[in-house]
Amino acid sequence: MRTRLPHFAVCLLTSSLFLPQTTSAEDIDFDSQVAPILASRCLECHGGAEPKGGLSLTTAEAAAKGGESGAAIVQNKPAESLLWGRVDADEMPPKHPLDAKEKRVLKQWISQGGKWGTSPLDPFAYTTDSRAGRDWWSLQPLKPVADGVSIDHFVLKRLSDAGLQPAHKADPRTLIRRLYFDLTGLPPSPEEVQSFENDPSPEAWNKLIEKLLASHRYGERWGRHWLDVVRFGESDGFERNNPRRNSWPYRDWVINAFNNDLPYDQFVRMQLIGDKLVGGVEGAAATGFWVAGVHNTVVGGSRRMKLLARQDELEEVLATVGQTFVGLTVNCARCHDHKFDPISQKEFYRLSSAISGLGYGEREEQSAEAAEQLKDTEAKLSVVTEQLNAIDSVARKAIIEAREKGDAREPELPKAFARWEFDSDLRDSIGNLHGQFMSGAKLENGALIVDGKSWVQTAPLAKNIGEKTLEAWVQLDNLTQRGGGVISIEKRDGVIFDAIVFGEREAGQWMAGSNGFVRTDSFEAPQETEANSRPVHMAIVYQKDGTITAYRNGVPYGRSIRKAGLQTFNAGDTEIVFGLRHKPPGGNRQLSAKILSAALYDRALSPGEIAATAGNPSAWVPEEQIVEWLPEAKRKERSRLKTQVTALNQKRESQARLARQRIYTLTPGGGAVTNVLLRGDPDKVGDQVTPGAVGAVSGVDADFGLAANAPEADRRRQLADWITSHNNPLFARVIVNRIWHYHFGTGIVDTPNDLGFNGGRPSHPELLEFLAAWFRNNGYSIKKLHRLILTSATWQQAGYIHVAPGQKDPASVDAANRLLWRMTPRRLEAESIRDAMLAISGTINLQMGGPSFEDVKVTANNGTNYYTAMAVDGPQFNRRTVYRFNPRGGRSSLLDTFDCPDPAATAPRRAVTTTPLQALSLLNNSFVLKTADEFAARVAKSSPQNVAAQVKTAWQLAVGRLPTDEESQLSQKLVMAHGLPALCRGLFNINEFVVIE
Amino acid sequence: MFESQSSLSRRNLFNWGINGLGATALASMLQQSASADIGPHFEAKAKRAIHICLIGGMSHVDSFDYKPELEKMHGKSLAMDQKPDIFFGKVGLLRKHDWEFKPRGDSGLMISEMFPNIAELGDDLTIIRSMVSESANHTPALFMANSGFEFNGFPSMGSWISYGLGSESESLPAYVVLNDERGAPNTGASTWSSAFLPSSSQGVVFKGGERPVRDLFPARELGADTDRDTRSFVNAINQKHSERTGTDPVLAARIRSYELAAKMQSSVPEVADISGETQETRNRYGLNEKNTSDMGRRCLLGRRLLERGVRFVQLFSGGPIAGSPRASWDAHESVKDNHTLEAGRIDKPVAALLSDLKQRGMLKDTLVIFTTEFGRTPFAQSAANQVGPGRDHNRYGFSCWMAGAGLKPGTAVGTTDEVGWKAVERPTPWHDFHATVLHLFGIDHEQLTYYHNGIQRRLTNVHGEVVKEVLA
Repeated sequence: MRTRLPHFAVCLLTSSLFLPQTTSAEDIDFDSQVAPILASRCLECHGGAEPKGGLSLTTAEAAAKGGESGAAIVQNKPAESLLWGRVDADEMPPKHPLDAKEKRVLKQWISQGGKWGTSPLDPFAYTTDSRAGRDWWSLQPLKPVADGVSIDHFVLKRLSDAGLQPAHKADPRTLIRRLYFDLTGLPPSPEEVQSFENDPSPEAWNKLIEKLLASHRYGERWGRHWLDVVRFGESDGFERNNPRRNSWPYRDWVINAFNNDLPYDQFVRMQLIGDKLVGGVEGAAATGFWVAGVHNTVVGGSRRMKLLARQDELEEVLATVGQTFVGLTVNCARCHDHKFDPISQKEFYRLSSAISGLGYGEREEQSAEAAEQLKDTEAKLSVVTEQLNAIDSVARKAIIEAREKGDAREPELPKAFARWEFDSDLRDSIGNLHGQFMSGAKLENGALIVDGKSWVQTAPLAKNIGEKTLEAWVQLDNLTQRGGGVISIEKRDGVIFDAIVFGEREAGQWMAGSNGFVRTDSFEAPQETEANSRPVHMAIVYQKDGTITAYRNGVPYGRSIRKAGLQTFNAGDTEIVFGLRHKPPGGNRQLSAKILSAALYDRALSPGEIAATAGNPSAWVPEEQIVEWLPEAKRKERSRLKTQVTALNQKRESQARLARQRIYTLTPGGGAVTNVLLRGDPDKVGDQVTPGAVGAVSGVDADFGLAANAPEADRRRQLADWITSHNNPLFARVIVNRIWHYHFGTGIVDTPNDLGFNGGRPSHPELLEFLAAWFRNNGYSIKKLHRLILTSATWQQAGYIHVAPGQKDPASVDAANRLLWRMTPRRLEAESIRDAMLAISGTINLQMGGPSFEDVKVTANNGTNYYTAMAVDGPQFNRRTVYRFNPRGGRSSLLDTFDCPDPAATAPRRAVTTTPLQALSLLNNSFVLKTADEFAARVAKSSPQNVAAQVKTAWQLAVGRLPTDEESQLSQKLVMAHGLPALCRGLFNINEFVVIE
Repeated sequence: MFESQSSLSRRNLFNWGINGLGATALASMLQQSASADIGPHFEAKAKRAIHICLIGGMSHVDSFDYKPELEKMHGKSLAMDQKPDIFFGKVGLLRKHDWEFKPRGDSGLMISEMFPNIAELGDDLTIIRSMVSESANHTPALFMANSGFEFNGFPSMGSWISYGLGSESESLPAYVVLNDERGAPNTGASTWSSAFLPSSSQGVVFKGGERPVRDLFPARELGADTDRDTRSFVNAINQKHSERTGTDPVLAARIRSYELAAKMQSSVPEVADISGETQETRNRYGLNEKNTSDMGRRCLLGRRLLERGVRFVQLFSGGPIAGSPRASWDAHESVKDNHTLEAGRIDKPVAALLSDLKQRGMLKDTLVIFTTEFGRTPFAQSAANQVGPGRDHNRYGFSCWMAGAGLKPGTAVGTTDEVGWKAVERPTPWHDFHATVLHLFGIDHEQLTYYHNGIQRRLTNVHGEVVKEVLA
């Protein structure tokens, strides 16, 4: 082997030999000058339980003691101090040497005696050039603001300081269009524009604001902003990316909360602890917040992988909680103290302890109103059913009596393909699928005993099996087990299977297990409560069209499901296993139970046949036999009753769905005793912590006063109290800044999720204080805040201004318009573009709430879900975009190119790009073409045969104004040559439609 | 460098492929660097890259990492001090390689017969035999290999490089993705979405057929005249509008984007049309053989894209991860069977790509990157007393290779232990790998940053050291 081994060249960084000399004998203050350097540049390694090289710089004593190489600090003698030597040589800190100023401070400090200050070191005491301390602006109490000031006061002051003038007021058409898109995300109708142009008085403006704030379209628009922040998506992400079809109740709850102007503190409390505050559907919907993000459902087998995955979940959620509500990136303190903000690693784990009950899943909740209706329907149903039964029982009795006399047909039990009685052996009593004991399975008292380790496998099947029925009599050892299989038909390597499984996805529920859950969905059946005390008969029927129905003790178990096609199992490569979901054995796949008997049918049994196999076959009379026996009049009555039963059952089913709403939401487990994990490593367990929050936030106690093992709900409640406390200055600052951001395109702090050191600095600090205090004093009403902003002259400025020759161009002073010398024109967001096109074409479907419409095809491929866009047509697809099913990675080309974020992480502000792909999308996308056609049809109907009038209408609908003469001519020319659809498509592409002044 | 998203900076408006108009991140970075006196960047050796990204996990001990000791220890058990973090957790006995290894070319690099054609080009490869990853789980590992993070929501190498350098072509995207015909990887668009970077740096999927890019042409037939006249109308109206509003960068950028869209409509079909390639070329890339035609077509298309100025082309080898039969490199059942099939699909096309790039003089400033999510265990995935045919995931040591621009050819860097279980010499995490790729593009990985939710994000998180040993 002639592999050349590489040279391991050590690259030495050339260090500057010439440090700036200290010119004066500056007195160094340890706490304000030295401590921040040590804390931010040294403690990561030279602190904690196992300091590197044995040198700890956390306390005076430890620093004096030095490390393995000797004394780090020799008083008055930098040259003899190892600390200085290593720093001076740029060996420490490794890779990122200190700058000249930091070095000078350290050297001077040692020269002056190297006296320690506060011990242990308080790295968070002061803000420095490189990090924020506890004195950081956003952590301080809200500053009182003088009475009688307004938004305009603060903005004008900053403008005049910069020598700038505000822009003139925008014209009425611009204002009303801006207002509509701002508050509702939809354009005004031509009539509304006209009416405001006729009376643009302040009173009319106020009325307009009120009208829009009262419109349900408002909540859809502003709810969408909130969904960005909480990264609401409708699939799990990661490998499987399972769809979450029951997460929409959270989306609806958010929209309703905005529409009802739920005070912001309550809005947040509901999302954090609504399940305990009000419970029911509302509580479960609101706490959907916790699980709106991604969730990895494939975490691997090892303990470490599981622990790490759990820590990743907690970090992901804490990142969202911290950034969403208090603008703190607490997640950056998982592995070490926050490098930029005064948040310790311990505080991260205190927060982690507070949310340690985090659990993802579906819950079933009752809606009182729907439950009432359901009760009514059920009462009616039971009356009708009784009548029906009365007729049938007479017939049944007569038929059975006749049978006993031998003059009626006796139905035969359906014939199985294979049957195992487990009386004295594992033999198949019909064919050759004899079983074989694995890992200590045994027979006892006529039943197969599997104990969570043992199982049985049969010989391979000699026939292809498509349609099928699996059946078993089984008694479980306990009802808490999660995932064992009773009987499974599988490919011999275990990669493909269909099985009767208990408790895998939902505790206490029977499930049709399948590889990667391809054919698995919840049966939405009642909880199992008996199977541990007596044997139950379970059967699952697999029909040709993919429908899967389960039966328990002979009656249907919940609803039928259909997710994918029927799986066919090939002869020679298929076997049956008992006590195991599928191979390989191990994990949660194994069952603890007694299996009394089992059977496999090579066809889909009928409900009657299942009833027969589950009970006494001679008591089973097929329906047709009953009907045959009845006299004509009774037969008619029965048929009428039957129709009623069917109708009532359908009603009952839909009411039951509402009464027992399944909601993808927080399903809290017990709170966990939490320890600091050194460097975030689950194998390096540090000190135990109690639930708590960030101490540097002034005005609120970061200690929750709870024990490390406190109940889960207490922890969350305390966290909610801490976040929403009247005295938490970040709570109000963050939300008013967010709302400002959505009104102006940029926040007063341009990083709405981060008011820490790495975030932006406020462009108008006093204005932020004013708004926060005002908002708090006005009952946290978001609608009131909208009114305050929308009635300001600042918001009503023009977007395009003409700079007269010789006048100073404001853009040359402040290109980014941070000082607000105009209103920044903004490109519509992706959702508004789509919604506006629907509105303009007159095809928008304003149906609110409920399950999302799906314009993607969901393909399940071996356990992974793929989402591909489909061209769709029909009013159900013309709903507003906020109701679009939004799986992760399931992008729509139109929305995607217009910067609609994939909900992988909290998105406090959207990027705004301009690309050729956008142009292509807006010109060519099937949705755009279809909607342009509908727009054209609407216009054509308005004034048939009159092209000039059509052009006028089209322009008014699209951009809220009449075309100029020139525009009208160009438009007419286009219509003459290529028809109205061409003009409508064109209007969807012009700047004035896409960019709002 | 910090880029404020709220400021209407020129590069936010004019992005990919607009030379002369649009400043790229690097250009503005250099500008700012100059004023902030941070110092020069490195010389850019690579102008473009093509990334062959294996889905599933290629066995290094059977391909690029020869382990004679493993052969000797075949059937013995491996002593380990702790429970290994693999996927299924079944530790069988050690299993020797299933392919014969041979020294190749002048360099004598040991490469197995799994890749007979690529092996012939051993003198052009730079192999890193000491890769390590933080995850032995497919999706996090795939994210890690591409973005340096184990989660959804982080931009991949291709996006970062596109963000930093833009495209050299006005009318083609900077970052193009070509999926395996058997399907996209499990993570789908999350693998190449621009995440928090501007959407202009997202990977654009090119499919087969007449409309390689979505929405390239009207979703239904409109007639060429209609389309042309409508665009002229849009342009005329926009010009009038600009006269009224005055100069506004957002509006100007939109006008320009329509001009570029029109150019894309001719350049995309042109690049995707390989009918002009010679029969000899098609044969070389394996277009006429069943096994290799998919990868062959994509490798050839990849070369054509690179020639026309695309910055980063990503080819996936392998589709969805689970299922039977496997459609990826996830050889749990049998390495021999699985890798024979998978390598057979790509060996000839990748070798053709390499030699074609070389022949055209492009290899000197083109980077070819060949990665896998992780390696596979030297022991079988079977019962503790058996030598089964399959191997489990191995994140502790595996091999990737690069070729071309700025690299030391015919070299292998780093080693695993004697059986190939763990990296021992120069363990190379993905952050180092990514830092090296950026370095070859002349970018300091600590300088290419983008503010997102509290931190200046980088491809290399807070880690990363350039693997100097691979540099020429």
